[in-house]
Amino acid sequence: MKFKKLASLLVATALAVTTLAGCSGDDSTASTDSSTASNTTTTTEASSDGSAASGDLLTIEIYDAAANYQGTQSGWFAKVVKDRFNIELNIIAPQVAGDAIFQTRASSGNLGDIVLLDAVQFAECVDSGLIKDITADLPNYSNLAAYKEQIDVYNGGLPNNADKKTYGIPTEMMNTSPTSYSQDVIYSSPLLRWDLYSELGCPDIADLNGLLDVLGQMMEKHPTNEAGDPAYPFSLWADWDGGDGMLGIANVVQLTTWYGEKLRGSVILKPDGTFTPLTDKTGSYYKILHFLNDAYRRGLVDPDSGVQDWNTACAKMGAGQVYLMWYSWQVGFWNSQERLENGTAFIFIPVADQNYYTDADAYFGSGRVFGVGSGVEGEKYERIMKFLNWYASPEGLTFQHVGIEGFNYTVNEDGTYTAINTNALMDNLPVPEEYGGAGYNDGNNAINQWIVGANSTNPVTGETYAKDYWKSWKETTMTQMKKDWAAKFGAAEPVDWMKQNNKLVISPNVSVSLAADTNDIGVIRNQCNESVCDYSWKMIFAKDDAEFDSMWDEMTSTLEGIGFADLTAFDIEKHTVELNAKNAYK
Amino acid sequence: MFKNKKKLRGYKEFLMVLPFIILVIMFCYYPLYGWFYAFFDYKPPKPLSEAEFVGLKWFSYMLDTPTKRAQLGQVLLNTLAVSGLSILFSWFPMIFAVFLNEIKSKKYRKFVQTATTLPNFISWVLVYSIAYCVFNSTGVINSLLGDMGIIDKPIEFLQSSEHVWFKMWLWLTWKNAGWAAIMYIAAIAGIDEELKEAARVDGANRMQIIRHITIPSILPTYLVLLFLNIANFLSNGMEQFFVFQNNFNKDTIQVLDLYVYNIAMGSGGYPLATAISIFKSVVSIILLCVTNKISKVTRGEGFI
Repeated sequence: MKFKKLASLLVATALAVTTLAGCSGDDSTASTDSSTASNTTTTTEASSDGSAASGDLLTIEIYDAAANYQGTQSGWFAKVVKDRFNIELNIIAPQVAGDAIFQTRASSGNLGDIVLLDAVQFAECVDSGLIKDITADLPNYSNLAAYKEQIDVYNGGLPNNADKKTYGIPTEMMNTSPTSYSQDVIYSSPLLRWDLYSELGCPDIADLNGLLDVLGQMMEKHPTNEAGDPAYPFSLWADWDGGDGMLGIANVVQLTTWYGEKLRGSVILKPDGTFTPLTDKTGSYYKILHFLNDAYRRGLVDPDSGVQDWNTACAKMGAGQVYLMWYSWQVGFWNSQERLENGTAFIFIPVADQNYYTDADAYFGSGRVFGVGSGVEGEKYERIMKFLNWYASPEGLTFQHVGIEGFNYTVNEDGTYTAINTNALMDNLPVPEEYGGAGYNDGNNAINQWIVGANSTNPVTGETYAKDYWKSWKETTMTQMKKDWAAKFGAAEPVDWMKQNNKLVISPNVSVSLAADTNDIGVIRNQCNESVCDYSWKMIFAKDDAEFDSMWDEMTSTLEGIGFADLTAFDIEKHTVELNAKNAYK
Repeated sequence: MFKNKKKLRGYKEFLMVLPFIILVIMFCYYPLYGWFYAFFDYKPPKPLSEAEFVGLKWFSYMLDTPTKRAQLGQVLLNTLAVSGLSILFSWFPMIFAVFLNEIKSKKYRKFVQTATTLPNFISWVLVYSIAYCVFNSTGVINSLLGDMGIIDKPIEFLQSSEHVWFKMWLWLTWKNAGWAAIMYIAAIAGIDEELKEAARVDGANRMQIIRHITIPSILPTYLVLLFLNIANFLSNGMEQFFVFQNNFNKDTIQVLDLYVYNIAMGSGGYPLATAISIFKSVVSIILLCVTNKISKVTRGEGFI
């Protein structure tokens, strides 16, 4: 009897779950129905640009190394694509499904209809015959052909491609130059809350110790946020460690660029153009790790830093529990128009002894590559190329970088744009039914990577695609805080300040094909990364210098025992190729 | 066609077994083909057929420097310690079931049983979320201790590398004890009531009935489960340790399955991962044979 009851309970639960799942299924069919119904009203508009929806509904699979979302694209961007091409995008995301999906799909011989991969992996796939040769067709697609120079340079550098065939289209290419830097803020620099900084009387900061002093005073004056939760200058997270091809803690690695150095795998590229292993005590990895340890010893580090993930840390940033940020995009979780106006926003504050590293405009692309799967043929191939061509067109790029006309921007009399609903992404604002409905963020382009970068010039407006550099946007964001900042530092924008004071190291953008890890190197790299991260985290939480240094020595000897020397030798050789190409611009 | 009835029957019976033989071959023997990967320098997207044969390279890679030997040694120690603890305390669900059975109030008994079985259905990822909420620096425990004035600085429970094996055993027991008890509750239900009544007539009290009737009757069930567990000694699974691992406790939490994931699977080092799992399978087979032998000696019968 007992078991009968238990069984019936289980069945009942299962039923309830399936019923619920059934409901959501119904929902989605209903919404597709409504979107097909509203199709008829908008197809006429779409056909005016010569790319009307044609043929049967086609689902294309995109193997997408950049996507954070797996499944069918939904919402407003799905509608944009469907209206124009009658195409549905099915995104396969290794970041969601795990890297093992690469192995399974590659061994089946079909990675996807459209493939977006990191350059090294892309080259391997070309070698294995997984990518289609698009040499003959590329010139027929004007928006892609506009980037012929960059596309040819990339494909010319592919190993085993002596006939210079075209396989890949680099991502986020720009129409500026490989040595220029056209943004106002660099990727990583110390960003402080302006209100807290000016409350201390805007002290000059000489070095990292000075920075800790300032942060310490901020925390002393404001130990909690407005809601009364504890606030710390530093709240770190561990789940990005070893990412972006750089060994070690992601938070530490990023800050090494404050001293003009940049990690390349297991080695540090110094401003003088030489490489030194990560384990070098005079290198910036040691310096920054020690800086974070000093911060910990002063009680400035969130005690949960080592066990929380990005989402938890991010929630704290949004709640004002963090006083130091270092990614240019990170401020987006706090800085709103309102906070810019009342002066509580984050902004770059220079530290006198620093010299900032930045990568130049991604003229030749940002490192990932689009391609077409080798199995795609006939009409499907044509429709995919048309889609990619649109994806690189001013219209497509405006959807990707700005959004929907009338919802994200309005057109001024002189043809330029003014941004509206700027919190659409952050607050997932509901999108009107005529544009596809659902939340704005939910329906945002899930491919999450562009062929042309946001700071390129839009030929329609003569301004950049990114709203940050529109005349109208500059006017609205010229707040009192920005004026005070400019008066104090004598420059209009952070990058202007860096350029004026000769504090910016711009690393030219080059397109070279880097060597892929052999199996041995791959395993050693992974094992070394595990060790470096384990020891580094313990070092951040070390009690004193003696403990810190003994752990560092222990780490160095452990690394030696698992083949670190082979790894650094490999990385130096690998990145010297790149360095030589960069030096050619000097 | 068939000369005699006996042969015909033989064929019939073979056909009846055939589907199961096919299933066993498909799901238990065919996957062993994957062991090939351990002997090649396989790296996707290149297929195995184009990979270079490297012999035992990946087996020697595991052990070729003192550091790696020390690492593998520590991993094995963790594996044995965690498995050892759970085997050492494997009587716990049995005793739990026995005492649960003694509860007179049917409602209360049901409640306890349901409440202890439920955690089994919570995934480890959610268990960790619960653990994080309870034990982080502003979590329930730290706030409580702080408010009561016992501590002035939050205790970093999740970061500590002390007593990791024991803590892992506690989490596992919290999650599994109720579920594991179900088997014993069924066994207890199968005990002949007359035995207990006879004992009661003879003047045995409750504890004596438990000691001399209930436990001996379910002991065979216990032993079979125990031996099966020993054969699985090296497989503690990885989910639990994967969610609880961090850079501070990795030395003591990294069990073999997690080690395979951390050093190889995560980065696509398939040959090395396969080599380690072959090593694990061989050790497991040895353990199974040994326990079978022990069973033969102590109980007079093996279980395979």
